[in-house]
Amino acid sequence: MIIQIVLIAGLLLSLLYGIVQRQRSWLLSNAIAIVSLSGIYLVVFPERTNQVAHLVGVGRGADLILYCWLVISIIVSMHLHLQILHVQELITEVARELALTGARRSE
Amino acid sequence: MIRLWVVIPAFNETDVIRDVVKGVRAFYPDVVVVDDCSADDTVEMALHAGATVIRHPINLGQGAALQTGIRYALGRGAQYIVTFDADGQHRPDDINVLVDTHLRTGADIVLGSRFLGQSENIPWLRKMLLRLAIIFTRVESGLKLTDAHNGLRMLTRRAAEGIRIRQNRMAHASEIIHQIARLKLTIAEAPVTIVYTEYSLRKGQRLSNAISILADLFVARLKK
Repeated sequence: MIIQIVLIAGLLLSLLYGIVQRQRSWLLSNAIAIVSLSGIYLVVFPERTNQVAHLVGVGRGADLILYCWLVISIIVSMHLHLQILHVQELITEVARELALTGARRSE
Repeated sequence: MIRLWVVIPAFNETDVIRDVVKGVRAFYPDVVVVDDCSADDTVEMALHAGATVIRHPINLGQGAALQTGIRYALGRGAQYIVTFDADGQHRPDDINVLVDTHLRTGADIVLGSRFLGQSENIPWLRKMLLRLAIIFTRVESGLKLTDAHNGLRMLTRRAAEGIRIRQNRMAHASEIIHQIARLKLTIAEAPVTIVYTEYSLRKGQRLSNAISILADLFVARLKK
């Protein structure tokens, strides 16, 4: 089916991204790889999602995917938020240094 | 003569900055105004009044401006640093009260307290908010203060070197208290007068800011 090809292509890209991130963060890289590989597995064998869902006490496989997606999105958002804060701190330091070199006084 | 620098963070304060700087310089000549990228003539007015002016190239917030000013004052060999609001709500002669309190107690940091001193025309909602902030500070830092969010405070060089303000926006007041507790600096409070003018109220804090301050502090904890 077309949707399977599209989804697998997307997940392969995500897997590739995870591998590229290996040098930056081992944990992040592995997490992305695991999520991508599980995704590919469930795209190839969609009926498995129902079995996993029942195993953890969720009615339907589609619901389980939705919940997982929600959790992943929240984690990613928080991660991005912290990164933005870090960049803001760097910008502050740069702006401060720049400001300090230009102190003015009217004599 | 003590080497005391007064740090005034300012953002769009054309109307009042000149009088504030002149008022302070009548007592202490070393004044640094940190202009947080104002869109008006704050820089010119402050220069005209005789202050040293540092201008942030982008707007960073009051906490960042304070830290910039403190860095500058330390670089100029300040033994004492006073932080002073730009909106005219503090009285320049209250700086003497801070100095006297330091000389009497030897505290590393002297915080101005409007509830030990006087507050003129304080609206009830603001009073309630400040009371809540005091309770929050007590729970969070263990320090028993009567006024946790007063812009008028004096730091000794030792304290100023230890404290590093990372909260760029308005959460810095709570952050300073938190660091005082962490660094085990000694603290004293001095009675000061806050004059609530129509202008300072317009420029001042709102209830919604209190919520964003709490959010900023929460995120800061997450980062540790």
